[in-house]
Amino acid sequence: MAEDSKVPRRIHEELGELTKSIDEMIKAFRRLQNPIEESRQRVPMATMQLERINQQTEEATHKVLDMVEEITKDAGNIVQDLKTLRRALPATYFRNRSGIRDTFERIEQTANKSQDNAFAIMDALQFQDITAQQMEHTAHLLDEVETKLHSVRGLFGDDTSEEEIVRKKRAFDPNARYTTSSDSQQEVDELVESVKAAKTE
Amino acid sequence: MADLKILAVDDSPTMRRIIINTLKRAGFEDVTEATDGKDALAKLKVDKYNFIITDWNMPEMDGLTFVSNVRKTDDLRNLPILMVTTRSVKDDIIEAMKAGVNNYIVKPFTPDTLKEKIVQTIKNAV
Repeated sequence: MAEDSKVPRRIHEELGELTKSIDEMIKAFRRLQNPIEESRQRVPMATMQLERINQQTEEATHKVLDMVEEITKDAGNIVQDLKTLRRALPATYFRNRSGIRDTFERIEQTANKSQDNAFAIMDALQFQDITAQQMEHTAHLLDEVETKLHSVRGLFGDDTSEEEIVRKKRAFDPNARYTTSSDSQQEVDELVESVKAAKTE
Repeated sequence: MADLKILAVDDSPTMRRIIINTLKRAGFEDVTEATDGKDALAKLKVDKYNFIITDWNMPEMDGLTFVSNVRKTDDLRNLPILMVTTRSVKDDIIEAMKAGVNNYIVKPFTPDTLKEKIVQTIKNAV
């Protein structure tokens, strides 16, 4: 009889300890809930920041493109004006005026060089599309983190975790990189040719 | 070849502007732009084009789906298509070729490469 009364008391003590532990665990989870919610709220801010960077880089790139287009147009006009001027002068005009002829040639060369340089700047601006895709990839990864944190909130009984997050459609190449090496295009050409050859066989 | 009517499809306004400028510099003056595959298909219904330059990664309709749609359309089946994209993985290139792309350029491209591939694609298509 004495043995029997000891058992419930031991169970009672053990259950008391277990309840205390569960209480502590719940408190610990509740303490965790706030940082999770804070993190979840910060993720869209980081995504927005990336999108803002993308937008500003694009705007700046277009400003550079405006200038580049203007330079190429002006340089083209100079070359055209020189041609018009040459045609307007008598064919014998430069015969005893080698200095003026040299100046004409120098102006033409400088205008052509400016045009080439401006076109080279334009070609280099392709970096903007490539970095934009890299940013979109990062934003996509942040979207995924936000979705996971959103689901974790559900584990704490938060009903809002069932609300669907509306996402922007993102299009990007996860491996996009800026390389000016001609090797990669050469490799692509070889592959394209081999696929074409296989098709015709 | 300079009288080619080209449709340039890319979701990036920067890339569209660079492609159009590069084409004009190479003597191709008649260029229309489209922002994605969906927009391009709509433009192909309204006007006739002799050449398509398209990107791959675009939000509304990607380049691959667009190319497949073009190849399924009777009067567009043989329209030359040049893909200009950042995707340089072997499997991607094979997938694009299988979808019906005639030629392939990896971004960033040089003006010489763009002109060379247009000329080559047109010659092979004839």
